[in-house]
Amino acid sequence: METFNNSKPVLVLLLLPCLLLYSLISFNSSSVEAAMHTNNWAVLVCTSRFWFNYRHMANTLSLYRTVKRLGIPDERIILMLADDMACNTRNKYPAQVFNNENHRLNLYGDNVEVDYRGYEVTVENFLRVLTGRHETAVPRSKRLLSDEGSHILLYMTGHGGDEFLKFQDSEELQSHDLADAVKQMKEKHRFKELLIMVDTCQAATLFNQLQSPGVLAIGSSMKGENSYSHHLDSDVGVSVVDRFTYYTLAFFERLNIYDNASLSSLFSSYNPSWLMSTAYYRKDLYKRNLEEVPVTNFFGSVMETIHTDAAYKALSRRNSGRFEAQMSLDSVHHAERRTLMKVNDQEETHDVNPEGNKQPLQGEEGASKCPWSTFCNKFRKGENVDSLVNYGLVTMIPLLVIPTWLVR
Amino acid sequence: MAETKEKSHSDEKPKPRVRPIVRLGIFLVSHSFLVSVVCFTSGVLALFLLPVLAKNTYISENALMPGSASPMLSNHHVSDGNRLVKDLTNSNLKSSETGIESHKIIAKYMLDVGAEVSFHKFHPQMNQFHPLHFFSSPDSGKIQENCSCSSYGINTVGIIRAPRGDGKEAIVLVTPYNALTSSFGEVLSLGIAYSVFSLLTQVTWLAKDIIWLVVDSQFGEYAAVSAWLREYQTPKFSSHSTLNAEMCPDINYLFEIKVHSMAGSKFSNSFRRAGTMTAALVLKVRDQSEQFDDTVSIYAEASNGQMPNLDLINVVNYLAVHRQGLRVNVEKLWSLLNSGWLKSLGEIFESLATIAKSLNPKFKFGIPATEYVEGIATLASSLYYQALGVPTGPHGAFRDYQVDAITLEISPKFSLDKVWCSDILLRGGRLIEGVIRSVNNLLEKFHQSFFLYLLTSPSKFVSVGVYMIAFALLIAPLPMVAASLYVDANSSKGDSSFLFAITDTDEHGITIRSWRWLNSAKSVFIVHLWGAIVSLLPYFICQIPDCSPTTSFMIWVLLSILSLLILNLVLASPLACVKASQEKEWALVKSVTISSVFIGLGLMSVINFATAEIGALLMVPMCLLARPLKLDVRVGTLRSCCRIICNLVLGHIAFPPAAFFLFKGMLDGFGSANVGDFWMWVESLWAWNSATYLFIGMVQLPCWVLCVSILFHSC
Repeated sequence: METFNNSKPVLVLLLLPCLLLYSLISFNSSSVEAAMHTNNWAVLVCTSRFWFNYRHMANTLSLYRTVKRLGIPDERIILMLADDMACNTRNKYPAQVFNNENHRLNLYGDNVEVDYRGYEVTVENFLRVLTGRHETAVPRSKRLLSDEGSHILLYMTGHGGDEFLKFQDSEELQSHDLADAVKQMKEKHRFKELLIMVDTCQAATLFNQLQSPGVLAIGSSMKGENSYSHHLDSDVGVSVVDRFTYYTLAFFERLNIYDNASLSSLFSSYNPSWLMSTAYYRKDLYKRNLEEVPVTNFFGSVMETIHTDAAYKALSRRNSGRFEAQMSLDSVHHAERRTLMKVNDQEETHDVNPEGNKQPLQGEEGASKCPWSTFCNKFRKGENVDSLVNYGLVTMIPLLVIPTWLVR
Repeated sequence: MAETKEKSHSDEKPKPRVRPIVRLGIFLVSHSFLVSVVCFTSGVLALFLLPVLAKNTYISENALMPGSASPMLSNHHVSDGNRLVKDLTNSNLKSSETGIESHKIIAKYMLDVGAEVSFHKFHPQMNQFHPLHFFSSPDSGKIQENCSCSSYGINTVGIIRAPRGDGKEAIVLVTPYNALTSSFGEVLSLGIAYSVFSLLTQVTWLAKDIIWLVVDSQFGEYAAVSAWLREYQTPKFSSHSTLNAEMCPDINYLFEIKVHSMAGSKFSNSFRRAGTMTAALVLKVRDQSEQFDDTVSIYAEASNGQMPNLDLINVVNYLAVHRQGLRVNVEKLWSLLNSGWLKSLGEIFESLATIAKSLNPKFKFGIPATEYVEGIATLASSLYYQALGVPTGPHGAFRDYQVDAITLEISPKFSLDKVWCSDILLRGGRLIEGVIRSVNNLLEKFHQSFFLYLLTSPSKFVSVGVYMIAFALLIAPLPMVAASLYVDANSSKGDSSFLFAITDTDEHGITIRSWRWLNSAKSVFIVHLWGAIVSLLPYFICQIPDCSPTTSFMIWVLLSILSLLILNLVLASPLACVKASQEKEWALVKSVTISSVFIGLGLMSVINFATAEIGALLMVPMCLLARPLKLDVRVGTLRSCCRIICNLVLGHIAFPPAAFFLFKGMLDGFGSANVGDFWMWVESLWAWNSATYLFIGMVQLPCWVLCVSILFHSC
């Protein structure tokens, strides 16, 4: 009896740390899946060379301009252009690229940063960018430094066919290659969500092999269909934009950085009779409801720019990383106008939900409402699972010592 | 396992199984008569079907994008061109003793728009027969010594450097111009070229340099162009040419004037070059016009039936028809247009097509009868000019350096007064500008489209894959008949001389019999050797001074007969039967002849397809039908009578001079035929290094001699 009576608090004492440990571990493991959307990246690829493929470069540059306008900064855009039409000798307007025959908008202005140009645009480099397997000498600006909270827009245009996309008129990216790269990215937690947008002939076939969850894909044409150019600029003497991209741009021209048009409204804006092909989107790998996902999730950025008086005065380089982490928390309090996808931050600042974002809260996130949540957050911010387990084991040692002492 | 057992059983059997391909061969050889009749008729039929099988042309190279840019040539540039036309006509009226003045005017205009200008002085090279110069590249270093200052031509060359180009490539625009007897058409072509040239100095989109070559055509357009090309492609590092220039006061005067009057301008004394030539356009304007529309005629055939890339013709055709509203012509044999039998043949094909269409709506291969006749006329002319192997214009000189080039001849609708002049300047200029802009877009050499093709209309072509079928069918019977004749001669010999065979059935006799064909091969070889000698004879004949074509021809014929007789006496007698026992000798000779003809035609089809095709049409029936007349006379049936008649007719037609006169008569009428014409024709063939000449001398003539010898074989 005595032993039984004694054992009751012992059991409680035993159970408590176990529960604690479990909740911590479970929270952490779930946080891997449901990482918050923290940043946006864009990889924009024009794969074809030669003067008569002017439109592909114009496509890519137009999209570059659009995502930049919608808030993705240059350092988070990897722009790959296989040829330089602006400096082509055949260009009637040297150093300018237009995507419309009215020549109102020069896409190749002063602030275009091309990361991969000319013969650097190869299948190998493209796959290296996606999977992050660079040689050590490759500068940061040429790397896709995304993480598990990244939304990535991958836009590709060029000449394609059944399950392939031509690079540089000499090699091909196959749908297997793409699917494999995306799978590797998933394994390496390089993205949270990925939107692949392809404007080529038979673009839909390029998505056939994709398996990784969180991938949304849209192509300009179905299998057996061609993607056509939109119009010819008789002044420059080439076609300047493709239909699919033209209507995508037309959609985005109506938007500004704060609009919340949904992805489904973008997808439904493609009229097959205008495109002369059927836009195809594959969403079976993508869990969220397209009507509730704003296009700015991919084409815009969650990043808020912090203006400081002096560029380099504020902090030393060593702790800048921590500062960034803090900054992102701070920005939550200051950003009243922005939609934020950080679930926990939403809980802390309940007033911030102006757009009625109905992101479903998952069970584990519900559990995080317990008093431990701030403690958990601390762990989440700073340490990884290993250290957490170590802490748990350390707390186990006194707990093991106490019952043995009590039993004696 | 069971199969292997069966095999082992069958292996034990004494008779080995013959492989199917061998059996098929034996079958074909044994039915060679039927096979050859079927093949030959279907070959001729296939040739006549080519216009029906012709495909529409299409721009194969993506980079070209003809007509995608709107023309920039405006009335301002046209008025520039008009100014030049006016100045040139005035200068011609003033002083026509030398062409110096007009050259100066052209050079001044070129300098005015900011182009680099240089003069190229050349001495025309006389075309001479060089026996070893067939297929060789044009000679480079040969400078004629005894050239006087009076006989030189001056090409004026203007070069626009592409403002942002790398200077590695160039497009050439050629306008022939004879300063002494300049016609208004020539001046107008200069006007068109100048209006384009003045535009191109202003544009920003040039990727290739533009060379405008005003060719001095007083010694012929081709000679001048090829002289310039020779200089361009093979730089001379000696000071010989400059020395030559200094010796002539005229040209010195020209140079001095230029240098003094325009110091600091882009005029240069030395020969100026630009990059590799991508394409060349020769522009002409015809003076008198009999057309109902403004027409552009395209001439494309270069030496030995080489054609420029089909894309170049397509671009010109597309731009002329769809952008400038000009009619495009390619050459036709006009005499064929009115022939009734072609029309009825076209109607037959048309009705067949409608029947086929009624059976299955998917069959769409019929073309209207009139279109068919035009297609045949164009195809025949295409075949004829390719077979001739003589270039149809100065563009041929470019093809010798693997540069794609065509001649465009614009013939305006009305007489050339001022209003129409401007209109032609505008439209012609825009056409040239469009073609240049399209070629400017090109990234590599022309390579995407066909090089081997026959045109059946400006927008329809027959590619090599289709027209080879007709030729293959024509020559397919040759090896079969040769084999069957050989087998026949050997076996029938055994039968007929059965008594002999009994006496010597030893190994020795069989060996001798199986090598008997060597005897016939020797006689065939001798005749071919004679053919080579005959084709060399003109080299010596043309050394004889003051010889009219007729006498030359007569000398040639006499020498040929003489050499044949001498060869006969010295080596052996191919005509006479060697032994009485070999009464089938003619069959063996025929067999070897057919084999050699097959080889000759096959080789020729690689060098110049059209020649081989026409040659096959003449020689194949003659070879196949040849049979000693004596035998046929002895038999005296209807069939042998037909054969005698056919043999006699073919024996006359296939004789090269006879074939030439027949063809000439069909084209021009028989009234003007002259014996010397053949000599002149042959002279032009060797002057242009045409392989057709070799073919006639070394394949067709020996074949004809051998066939005639078979016909008169005494058995």
